[in-house]
Amino acid sequence: MAFQFVATTDEVPDHGCKLIPYRKHEIGLFHENGAYYAVLNYCPHAGAPICRGEVEAPLTASADGTYTVETDRPVLRCPWHHWEFELKTGAPVCDIKQKLKTFEVVVEGNNILLDL
Amino acid sequence: MVIDCDVHHTRKSPNELLPYLKEPWKGEMIKYGGRYLSAGINSHDGGNRRDIQPPNGGSPGSDPHHMKEDLLDKYDYSYAILTGTGHDVTGIPDADYASAIVSAWNDHTIEHWLPVDKRYKMVLWVAHQDPQQAAQEIDRLGDHPDVVSVWFSSISAMPFGNRFFHPIYEAAQRHNLPIGIHPGNAGAMMAQPSATAAGMARTYLEWHTGVSHMYMAQLTSLLFEGIFERFPKLRFYLVEGGYSWLPHLMWRMDAHYKGLRQQAPLLKKLPSEYIADHVRFTTQPLEEPKKHEHLLQIFDMMDAENTLMFASDYPHWDSDDPPYVLRKLPESLQQKVLHDNAAKFFGLD
Repeated sequence: MAFQFVATTDEVPDHGCKLIPYRKHEIGLFHENGAYYAVLNYCPHAGAPICRGEVEAPLTASADGTYTVETDRPVLRCPWHHWEFELKTGAPVCDIKQKLKTFEVVVEGNNILLDL
Repeated sequence: MVIDCDVHHTRKSPNELLPYLKEPWKGEMIKYGGRYLSAGINSHDGGNRRDIQPPNGGSPGSDPHHMKEDLLDKYDYSYAILTGTGHDVTGIPDADYASAIVSAWNDHTIEHWLPVDKRYKMVLWVAHQDPQQAAQEIDRLGDHPDVVSVWFSSISAMPFGNRFFHPIYEAAQRHNLPIGIHPGNAGAMMAQPSATAAGMARTYLEWHTGVSHMYMAQLTSLLFEGIFERFPKLRFYLVEGGYSWLPHLMWRMDAHYKGLRQQAPLLKKLPSEYIADHVRFTTQPLEEPKKHEHLLQIFDMMDAENTLMFASDYPHWDSDDPPYVLRKLPESLQQKVLHDNAAKFFGLD
């Protein structure tokens, strides 16, 4: 457990993803609206390269015809089977046990560090 | 080694079909494009896997060279059975148009896909709106060495046990080809008497979940209408419609048959007993109970060791790759489900 430099901020443009080798997998470094997130590029469901999915704003509804697109809540949607996980915490959007592994991110100046 | 029973290839553009279409369909395609059914719901949130993009453009599944690398080579395939795209075609009311289109698909597959890799095999598409024309298509190409089955979608105006379909079954039996049934896409659901067992679905999610209703009804019809007594060499395989419902259906059919046998007088044995010789199921979408042991119990109840075959549904959004399915299968089933059952069923060495 130690923070390590992995990329500079200009390597990860807004709404972009940079893949970083990590053990036998990769880590996907995301940049969404000024915030950086890091997740393991391995879906806990079927082992898909989840970072090739899309970051979306989840849709919720409080009543018929009352929909909310939660634009301040980035969710990573797997390219296989389309399961959703919170980019920030890795928690599943559905009430299921599978969780996406995440890594703590620190930005120091133009440097992005991960707790690996 | 893997045999994949459901690989959806497609065309880079509808114009690729033009060399295989006669008039008036060729002129219509040039002037107006293809005909498609839409039920007014959003099917696009399903669609294709988002990580598949052929390098030279085109939609996922449109490049035989890219698919070879991305699927056949990657997972050490023995065979990929090409099943096509456009399963709303059997809901189109113009049988002549539908028959011409599926015939063009078949010729396109033969010319554009089979030469790329000998591991590509193909289904023979037919439009069941006109069983006579469908039978002619089976007679035209049914003996092609790379055709392994007849194929149509589950979108139909009546259940498949109806005698209306007999010409297709006669032709399939004549050429010793099993028949694969695949869900029609959601856009075509209004072409059926009922989109789900309960009626119209509001969403793709609701319709796609309900495909299993349709499959249960189709299999019930095939069995009780005595199709496998009328056509004793005919075989079906049911693709992408689930299978966990099979034990329930077998038990219920058998129970009712014991008292109401007079209403299915062609049958010579219990309905469920025809399945072993005549019906197979495919894995995708793999059923996912909370307790995995429950799936293993279902496998036991349906004799999955002999009735289940692997299908990926590549490149669709809910496709399952071989490693994922392998992890979910007990060791005793792995070889048979991934390869041997399909090899035996389709006569593939």
